[in-house]
Amino acid sequence: MVCSEWPEIRLDEYEGVWVAAFADESGQGIEEASLQLIGAARQLADKLETYVGVALIGRGVRDLAREPIFYGADRVFVVDDDRLATYYPAVWGRVLHDLASRHRPEVFLIPATLRGREMAPYIANSFRTGITADLTAMDVNERGEVVLIRPPFGGFMLAHIVTRNRRPVMGSVRPNVFPTPERDESRTGEVVEESIDVPEPRGIRLLEREPILKKEEIPIEKADVIVAGGRGIGSKEGFKLLRRLADLLGGVVAGSRKAVDAGWIEPDKQVGQTGKAVKPNLYIAVAISGAAQHVFGIREAKRVVAINVDPDAPIFEHSDYGIVGDYREVVPALIELLEEIKGRRKEG
Amino acid sequence: MLRIVVGIKWVPNTTSVNIDPKTGTLIREGIPSVVNPHDLEAVEMALRLRDEYGGRVTAITMSPPSARAGLEHVLGMGVDDAVLVSDRAFAGADTLATSYVLAKVIERLGYDLIVFGQETIDSSTAHVGAQVASWLDIPYVYYVTHARLEGGRLIVRRSLENVRETYELELPALISVAMHTLHPRRVRLSHKLRAKLESPIETWTNRELGLEPDCIGLKGSPTALSKIEMIPKVPRKNEIFRGDPREAAKWLVDKLIEEGLLEV
Ligand SMILES: Cc1cc2nc3c(=O)[nH]c(=O)nc-3n(C[C@H](O)[C@H](O)[C@H](O)COP(=O)(O)OP(=O)(O)OC[C@H]3O[C@@H](n4cnc5c(N)ncnc54)[C@H](O)[C@@H]3O)c2cc1C
Ligand SMILES: Nc1ncnc2c1ncn2[C@@H]1O[C@H](COP(=O)(O)O)[C@@H](O)[C@H]1O
Repeated sequence: MVCSEWPEIRLDEYEGVWVAAFADESGQGIEEASLQLIGAARQLADKLETYVGVALIGRGVRDLAREPIFYGADRVFVVDDDRLATYYPAVWGRVLHDLASRHRPEVFLIPATLRGREMAPYIANSFRTGITADLTAMDVNERGEVVLIRPPFGGFMLAHIVTRNRRPVMGSVRPNVFPTPERDESRTGEVVEESIDVPEPRGIRLLEREPILKKEEIPIEKADVIVAGGRGIGSKEGFKLLRRLADLLGGVVAGSRKAVDAGWIEPDKQVGQTGKAVKPNLYIAVAISGAAQHVFGIREAKRVVAINVDPDAPIFEHSDYGIVGDYREVVPALIELLEEIKGRRKEG
Repeated sequence: MLRIVVGIKWVPNTTSVNIDPKTGTLIREGIPSVVNPHDLEAVEMALRLRDEYGGRVTAITMSPPSARAGLEHVLGMGVDDAVLVSDRAFAGADTLATSYVLAKVIERLGYDLIVFGQETIDSSTAHVGAQVASWLDIPYVYYVTHARLEGGRLIVRRSLENVRETYELELPALISVAMHTLHPRRVRLSHKLRAKLESPIETWTNRELGLEPDCIGLKGSPTALSKIEMIPKVPRKNEIFRGDPREAAKWLVDKLIEEGLLEV
């Protein structure tokens, strides 16, 4: 028996791998996290021998409708509606649900931006289906089932999650887990204009929206060089030292979760399973022990350097170059040396 | 009177948690648990609202019986009463089945405002809040940093990656509190004593709730764990330098130059 609160469905009616896509802030393009998901969906769809569908909703998104095709979509379902001018989680979630239930995709993936994370479980619930948060890989198993893979508790293991009796199979994916596919304007596909009855927001009203003026800073997921500090840094002051090192290397500062918890660095600069996955050419982990959840975020780093007083710190197993020592001595020595090199470069 | 329900989860306080490969559920034996730290921020926000506008804060948790200690902790912070929702029939629930039970519990309690944490540290899905809102069909907003009442409506502020937003919510509504934004108050002896005297913790099983067995626990969970595998380790060079910091710096800089990671 199945729960009486779940509508009856027929599994064989569901086909295709869908991605929810959103315009970026400028409204001139599709946000990066959505494009990355289209690339991932393409690979899964090829394994399933099915199509990639993109649900593109918002106001004024009609002009962007061909973009997803250039990144790997076969069909783009567009809901361009003035009533979507303002974002409300339950309204957008409802529209995505209604659009998808019309076409019954087997898989439905949502980019796990902050808004995406807010909407995705609501959509899943509307289908009375399951959802896997922050998946990092997808596959099809021997039984032909779609498997969503995510690191669960602890980060050493990967859990393979299947959704046996409900559809769509839903998952959310953090930005930068999958690479952005190459844009290929020669790709062809179909744009389908859809009209969905956009519900009025109920019991909620946006009063104000203002952009957060951020310092012109490269976000850590885009940085080529990252100097990350952990609990062992001990203070906000210590992070200033890391900042100087990062500046000399043309990089940015990041931190472990414990450094974030301590308030020495902003939450959007946390590296790891519950923070961000980064892919710099050079990652310098300073006074970070190297917990599995942290290391998970630096799998794509080209070179990893560790500076730690404890010769047995696990981070050394995950690094290319390790220095055993107190960062309060090693980092100033590095800064001095780099300043010297910089000075020489200027002269020469 | 403002009736606030806050959801807290009792989670293993360790990084070395394991999963039973047969059942796919968390092995909890021998692992000390705590109230999910981000839920303490939710409790803090609920208490601030009550202190400012009056009303009552009820904490609920769907957890094994040991979670009573977690409820005692939040009662010590000043929560008025609590419900421990605990039954073997609820075990093995994914977020759909968890949110279903919590929604039914909250409905039974009666509520104006539901306050949840952003996410739990053991699963970090951030699913349950939106799902409860969906079951109850009420407005919701995540990542709330500030909340106040104005003319019976809740005004909340929150920040996304690049925008700051202010929403007005009609009650009943659900909010989840942005993690790392509030400092949970300490446990006070007077609250603890009161909680001891009044023992305001009720335990509800499925006998009280009477939910269909097919909608709860493992059976009510569309997702299932099919396999666990170890994450393959990324191969690294593992070269280590020990010694004088200046020499160490020189060693590293030479390596970086050699690899073209540093311009000279
Ligand atoms: C579900 C879950 C998700 C998680 N997600 C994340 C995540 O996304 N990101 C994350 O980072 N963590 C995450 N964690 C936490 C993680 O398990 C670790 O607790 C955390 O990464 C440890 O941070 P740390 O290395 O800064 O601190 P610690 O483990 O305390 O290590 C501090 C290190 O500093 C060194 N040290 C001390 N003083 C000095 C000095 N003067 N010079 C040099 N070295 C020094 C010490 O030897 C030690 O190795 C998660 C945990 C869970 C349960
Ligand atoms: N078993 C539970 N009992 C009570 N509240 C819960 C439970 N699970 C999750 N929550 C609430 O939902 C929030 C999000 O949880 P999660 O979706 O597991 O990340 C938590 O911060 C809690 O406030």
